[in-house]
Amino acid sequence: MANSVKIYIDDQMYEVPAGTNLVDAAKFIGNDIPVFCYHPKMKPVGMCRMCLVEMGNIVKDRSTGEVTLDESGNPQIRWFPKLQTACTTVATDGLVIRTNTQAVDDARVNVLEFLLTSHPLDCPICDKGGECPLQNLTMRHGPGTSRMVFEDKMRLDKQVALGDLIFLDEERCIQCARCIRFQDEIVGDPVLAFHERARALQIIAVGDPPFDSNFSGNTTDVCPVGALTTTDFRFGARPWELTPVPTICPHCPVGCNVTANTRLDRDFEGRAMIKRMMPRQNEQVNEIWMCDKGRFGHHFSRSSERLMQPVVGGSTSAWDDALNAAADLLRNAGGDVAAIAGSMMTNEDLWTLRQMLNGLGSQRLGAWSPTHAGADLVAQVGVGAGTNLTTLGADDAVLIIASDLEEEAPIWRLNVKQAHDRGAYVVVANARDTRMDAFASTTLRYGTGQAAAALQNLRADNAEVAQALADATNLIIIAGAEGLTLDGSRALMQSAANFLIETGHVGKPQNGLLATFPGANGMGLFYMGFTPETTLDITQNPPKVLILAQADVRYDDPAAAEWLSRVETVISLSLFPDEATQSAAVALPIQSFAERDGTYTNGARRVQRFYTAQGPLGEALPAWQVISRIGERLEQGRAKASAAAVMLEITQSIPAFAGMRYNELGKVEPQFPEIGGDDLYYGGTAYNNTGGLGVQAPTSADEGSVPAVGAVELPKAQKAKKGDLVVVPTTKLYNHERTFEPSIHEMMGRRVAESYVQLNAADAQKLNIQDGDLVQVTVGSAAVRARARVNGAAPEGTALLPRHLADTASPLTIGVGQISKISELVVEG
Amino acid sequence: MASQNIIFREKDVPDIREYDVYVKNGGYEALKKALSVKPSEVIDVVKAANLRGRGGAGFPTGVKWSFIPQTEPVKYVVVNADESETGTFKDRQILENNPHQLIEGAMIAAWAIQATAVYVYLRGEFWDVAHELDKHIEEAVAGGFVGDNVLGSGWSCMVYTHLGAGAYICGEESALLESLEGKLGMPRVRPPFPANKGGGLYAEPTVINNVETLTNVPWIITNGADAYRAIGTEQSPGTKIFCLSGQVNKPGNYEAALGGITFRQLIFDEAYGGGIPGGKQIKAILPSGGSGPIIPATDEVLDTPLTYEDLQKLNSILGSASIIVMDETVDITWVAAKVTKFFRHESCGKCTPCREGTYWLDKVLDRIMSGQGKPTDVDLIDNIAKNMQGFTLCALGDFAANPIIHTIKNFPDDFKAHLTADSAVMPTEPARPARRGAAAAASGAD
Amino acid sequence: MLAEKYAERIDKIFAKYPTKRSAVMPLLFIAQEEYGWITPESLVEVAELCDLDPTQVRSITGFYTMYSEKPKGKYWLQVCTDLACALRGADEFHHQLLDTLGIEDGETTEDGLFTVEHVMCLAACDKAPMLQCNFHFHENLDLDKVNALIAQWRAEANAAPVNG
Ligand SMILES: Cc1cc2nc3c(=O)[nH]c(=O)nc-3n(C[C@H](O)[C@H](O)[C@H](O)COP(=O)(O)O)c2cc1C
Ligand code: SF4
Ligand code: FES
Repeated sequence: MANSVKIYIDDQMYEVPAGTNLVDAAKFIGNDIPVFCYHPKMKPVGMCRMCLVEMGNIVKDRSTGEVTLDESGNPQIRWFPKLQTACTTVATDGLVIRTNTQAVDDARVNVLEFLLTSHPLDCPICDKGGECPLQNLTMRHGPGTSRMVFEDKMRLDKQVALGDLIFLDEERCIQCARCIRFQDEIVGDPVLAFHERARALQIIAVGDPPFDSNFSGNTTDVCPVGALTTTDFRFGARPWELTPVPTICPHCPVGCNVTANTRLDRDFEGRAMIKRMMPRQNEQVNEIWMCDKGRFGHHFSRSSERLMQPVVGGSTSAWDDALNAAADLLRNAGGDVAAIAGSMMTNEDLWTLRQMLNGLGSQRLGAWSPTHAGADLVAQVGVGAGTNLTTLGADDAVLIIASDLEEEAPIWRLNVKQAHDRGAYVVVANARDTRMDAFASTTLRYGTGQAAAALQNLRADNAEVAQALADATNLIIIAGAEGLTLDGSRALMQSAANFLIETGHVGKPQNGLLATFPGANGMGLFYMGFTPETTLDITQNPPKVLILAQADVRYDDPAAAEWLSRVETVISLSLFPDEATQSAAVALPIQSFAERDGTYTNGARRVQRFYTAQGPLGEALPAWQVISRIGERLEQGRAKASAAAVMLEITQSIPAFAGMRYNELGKVEPQFPEIGGDDLYYGGTAYNNTGGLGVQAPTSADEGSVPAVGAVELPKAQKAKKGDLVVVPTTKLYNHERTFEPSIHEMMGRRVAESYVQLNAADAQKLNIQDGDLVQVTVGSAAVRARARVNGAAPEGTALLPRHLADTASPLTIGVGQISKISELVVEG
Repeated sequence: MASQNIIFREKDVPDIREYDVYVKNGGYEALKKALSVKPSEVIDVVKAANLRGRGGAGFPTGVKWSFIPQTEPVKYVVVNADESETGTFKDRQILENNPHQLIEGAMIAAWAIQATAVYVYLRGEFWDVAHELDKHIEEAVAGGFVGDNVLGSGWSCMVYTHLGAGAYICGEESALLESLEGKLGMPRVRPPFPANKGGGLYAEPTVINNVETLTNVPWIITNGADAYRAIGTEQSPGTKIFCLSGQVNKPGNYEAALGGITFRQLIFDEAYGGGIPGGKQIKAILPSGGSGPIIPATDEVLDTPLTYEDLQKLNSILGSASIIVMDETVDITWVAAKVTKFFRHESCGKCTPCREGTYWLDKVLDRIMSGQGKPTDVDLIDNIAKNMQGFTLCALGDFAANPIIHTIKNFPDDFKAHLTADSAVMPTEPARPARRGAAAAASGAD
Repeated sequence: MLAEKYAERIDKIFAKYPTKRSAVMPLLFIAQEEYGWITPESLVEVAELCDLDPTQVRSITGFYTMYSEKPKGKYWLQVCTDLACALRGADEFHHQLLDTLGIEDGETTEDGLFTVEHVMCLAACDKAPMLQCNFHFHENLDLDKVNALIAQWRAEANAAPVNG
C-alpha cells in the first residue's frame, strides 16, 4: 500500500491506509470496537464514550528515528494516561491500541450502565427490538443489573411527532446526535437540533413544516435505538419476522438499492406484504441512503385501485380471451402498429415488447415521456464505467444544468452536496433558483429555455467558469430538461457532450454525462430501442393499433386526448385503470416492481436486479409475460420462461448488455465501510446487500470510440406576446402520479403541495394577480388550476408550473400561455 | 513581597480604569515596546517569564503562543472572560477596574502570534461589564493602540467583545469557540487543537487565554522576564489573584505573590480574610472552586504556601485559586450535594458518563440529604463518580466527580451521619412548604 | 421587525464576525430586550437574519439559560444560591424573597412584574447574598435592602406600565 501505516491492535501488527479511522480499521480486521455515536458516514464527535480503548505510541529515538526497546527487547510504548476514544483517532504509524483489557471492558460496562440508567427498557414493544445496537451491545458488553432506582428515571414524552413522517420517543433517545448530524452533514437540511443541555438534552424540530427534508427516513436507520421511528412502520412488525428482499426503487433515475422487508400479513390476505423499505448498501449508487419518496412510496403496489383483471371492450375478461383479443387486433393491423412505453417497464419487458413489434414488422418504439432527449449520447459519453459520485472531491467538478436535482434525482443531490463539501467545484446553471444553489461553488443564470445556448457560449460568457470546468481533473455534467422542448433537450445534451469531449472528460471513471431521465428505466428504454423522437412521430402520425405500456399519457400530456382519438385501437398494459385504459380495446393488468423480478438500468447505466418481494395482486402478470404470451399467439415462438431467460437473450443481442446475465448482476463483493454486519452498530438489518451490486454498461467512449457530436442546432427561443407568459413545467418529487399517489393518502398527504404556479412580482402585477389567488394556466389545450405564488422564484416573463400537482394534465414541455384569475367558487362547484 | 499589585493596579492608582489615567501611568508603553521587536521575541520573553495560565490549568503561556503556525494568514486571540466557577470573581474585578491593562495584554498576545482579531468572550451576566469594556476598547482604538494599523506598524487587529448567555461549560476553551461561532457550547474533539489549522476559532489557529493571564503580560514586557521571575516561586512565578469566599470575615480578591502566603495567612490575616466569622473553627477548604478536590483544613494544609506545586502535593489543585472556606458547622455532604447540583445543571450533555452521571449522582444525593439514603449509597456514588472520572471529553466530567470522591475520602463521617442516624448538621437547605396559590393571596393583600 | 428597528445595532453586530452564524446570540439578546422573551416570531426572524434554520436558533435558546423561551416578569430576578453564596446565607435570602413576593421559584407574580429564579454562580461570591435584575448586579443584599429595591421597581413600573 502506497500510503499505509503500521498500527498495532491487541499486540498484532496491521498495515492500514493512513488516515483510516481506528474504529473502521479495527472492524476491517474483524475487531468490533463498540460504538454508539460514531457512524462511518459522518464526522466523529466522541460523545458516547463507548469506543474507549487503551492507546499509546511506539517510542522512537528522536535523533535516529529508531524504535526504542525496553529491557526485554520489545518496542517501548508510551501509553496515554487515560483511555482514548477510538472513533476520534485516525491511524498513524506506530499507534498501539488494546481493546481486550480489563480497563477497556470496564469502560464499556460503565458507559452501557450510564446509558441504561435513563433508558426505558421497553424493548418488548420497541420497533428497533431485534436490530438495536443498544440491545446488542448490552448483551455483549453490558452490566448484569442496574443500580439505578427505577422511580428516579426520567419520564418523558414517548410520542413526539417531529414531522408527518418521523416520531421521536424521548425516553429512548441516547443523545448520540446521529440524526442531527445526518441532516446537517449529509443532507444540508439542518432541521433537527438539540434543545436544553445536560440530562435534559432532547431532539427537536421546530421549523414550519417541522421535519422538512426529503431524506428524513434515513434518521430512523442511523438511530442506534428505537427513538426515531417512521409513521409508516412504527408498531408495524417485529424485525425478526421480516424477510428482506433486495429490490430497486422504481421512482427515479438514481436506482437506489433498497430492501423490501416483507411479512406474510393478515392485512394482505396472508400474502407476503412489504412492511417497510430500507436502503441496501451500494456504495456506488446510494451508499446507505434513500429518499422519503422511495421509502414511503411503496403503498401504490398494494392499492385497491390497481387494475386486477384484464378488460376487453369495457368488461372484465379471462386472461386467455384478453390475450387472444389483443393478438387478433395486432394481427389485423397489417403492421401498422406502434408502442409507447413508460420508464417503469423493465429491460425485460421492453425487450419482449420490441421483439413482438419487430415481429409484426414495426420499428415504431416510443419512449414515454417525450421530454428528455440524448440517451444515445449518454450511451456514448456517459459517466465512465466505475464512476462513483460518492467519492468526487477536491479537483473534481460537477456542472448541473437545466435540472432541479433534488426533485428529479434526490440522492444525486446528496452526492453532489457532499462532493462540494469535500472541495469539488460545483456549478449550478438554470434559468431559476433551485435548492442545489445552496451547495454550489458558482451559480449561472440563463434566459428561460436557453440552456443549450448558455453551455455553447460558456467560454465566451463565463470564461472563468468554463476554464475551471475544463481544467478539473474530473468533470461530470448532469443535465435535465427543465424549460426545454425535446429539441432543446437534444441541443443541450449535444452541447454537454461536446464540452466533455473537447475538454477530455469522457471515456474514464468520474467523467462524462449524466441525465435526469424521469423514472427508473430511462436508459433501459434507450438500450431497448425506445426513443422520445419516435414518440413524437407516433403522436403526429398515429398508427392503427397503439400499445401503451405503463405510460399514463392522459395524465402526463394535455394533447393526449387529441392524438389518441386518431388512433384506431389502443391496447394498454398498466398498473392502474387510468383514462387511457378505460378507452382501450384491451387493458391488461401488469405487476408492479414489488410482485415480480426484473432489472432496471439506472441513469448511470448500471443494470440492477430486483427480486419478487410481495404477493401477487389480482390477476396481474409481469409485462414481459403478458407480451410474450401475445407473441406466442402471433406465432412468434414460445413464450419466455422467466425474466432471467429474457435477459439472457438481451445479453446476446445488445452489446452493452453483454455482461448482464442474472448471476453477474446478482454478485456482491465486500464494501467499505462495512455497515450492517453482525455487530449491528449502525442499526437496521436491511443494509446488507445480498441481491447484487449490478453491472454498469460501458459507454462507447469507455471502449475507445469517442463520437463526433457535430454542430448543435439551437432551437428558437420561446417568445411570449404581451400579456402572455412562457410557462415552464417543473418537477416535484412528491406529486399525484398514479405510481405514487396511493402511497400518500395518510402519511405524506401534507407533503404534496397544492397545485401552484410561481409568478414574478412584476408579471403578477401586470396580470393583477396576488399571492394566493386561484388562477388558471392555459397553454394550448392544457388548462391547469393552480394557486399563484408570487415570489422571486420565477424570472420575469416566466411562470413555473410544477407538473402532476393538479388533477388535470399539465403541459409536457415549455410553451407560451396565459394566466388568469378564477373565482374560488369554481373549484367547489 | 507578598502584596505586590501587578494586576490590581487600582490599589495604587485608583482611577487606572480611565484611559487617560492608564496612559499617564505608563499604559500602552508595553505594547509600543512589543511592537518594536519581532513577535517571536515577545513570545520568548513570556516563555522566559514562565507565566502560567490563570484560567485553571496553569499551562505556560509563552509555550502556548509558540504553537501557533505563522504560515496561516488568519489567526485569533480569544480572551476567556467566562468566569463561571463557583467562588471565582477575579476576572470581573480586573475587567471593571483595570480594563486597559487587559486590552494591552491581549494586543501584545495578538502581536506575538500576528493575530488578525481579538475576541473577548464574557459570560452573559457580565452585561454591564461588557458595555463598559466596549467603551474602553473604543478609547484604545482612538488612541491608535487597537484597530487599523496599530501604532503605525502596518499591522491591524481589532478587539471585539462577545457575550455568552449562561453556560458554565463555555469557559472550557473549545466550547467557548463553538459558542463564539454561534453554536451550542459543547466541547470539541481534539486534535485538531485550537492552535492548529482546523481547531481554532473559525477553524483558524487561535490562542485562548484567561483575563488574568493576559493582564500580567504588559508588566512582563515592561519589566522583563527576570523581574517577573523574581516574584513567586521557581515553578509558579508572579502574583496571583486569590478569590476568597465562603465563611471568612472579609471575602474578596487578594493579589499576592505565588508562594508568598499560606492558606492560614490568606484566611486569617487581617490584611486578607480576617478569620472565620464568630470565631468558629475552620473545617474544610475548596482551593479551586467547586470543581477542585476539597481538603480538610488541617495545620499542615493551612501552612501550605499557595503555589501550583504545593497544592498538588496536597492532592488538590490551585486551579483558578477560588478559595472557598467552610467552618465547623458545615455539613460536607451538603457541600457535595450543592456542587453536584451545579454540575448536573452545567454539564453540556455531550458525554454519556457526564450527562448521566451528574443526573444520577444528584438523585442519590437528594435521597441521602432527605434522610432516605441507604448505607450502600456512599459506595454507589463513589463508584459512579469514579466511572465518570477520566472517561469524558472535557474536564467537566472530572470536575463533577471530584466533590464526591474527595468528600467521601476526606470527610467520611459527614456521610455516615446522614446514613446512620437522623443527625441534622447545619446548614442543610431548610425545608420549604409549598406555596402554590400563595401568590394570589399575597398580591391580594398588597 | 427587529431588522428595521435595530438596523444600526444589527449591522454593527454582523460587522464583528466573519460568519453570520456568530451573530445569533447577540441578536437573540436584542429580541429578548424588545419582547421580554424570545417570541416564536422573533426566533424566526433571527434565524433568517443569520441564515439558520429556526430549529438551530431554538437550540441556542434552549442551551443557554439567559434566553427565556416563555414570557417573564418585567423584573427577572436571579438569585445566586450556589455554594459560595449559600455559605453566606443565600438560600435563606432566596426563600425570604420568594415569601415576600408570594411565589415559588421560577414563578412570576400575578401582576407580571417579578419572576424569581435561583441560579448558579454569578461571579459575585464575595458580595453574597446577591441577585441580578435583568442582568444588572445588586450585591451585599439582605431582606431590607431587597424590599427597598422591590418598592423602587414597583414605583418605576407604575410610572411606566407594563406593555402587554
Ligand atoms: C469546564 C471548564 C470550565 C472552565 N472555565 C473557565 C473559565 O471560566 N475561565 C477561564 O479562564 N478558563 C476556564 N477553563 C479553562 C480553559 O479551558 C482554558 O484552559 C483557559 O481559558 C486557558 O487560559 P490560560 O492558559 O490563560 O489559563 C475552564 C475549563 C473547563 C474544563
Ligand atoms: S465532560 Fe460533560 S461538559 Fe464536558 S463535554 Fe462531556 S458532557 Fe460536556
Ligand atoms: S465516542 Fe466513539 S463511538 Fe461514541
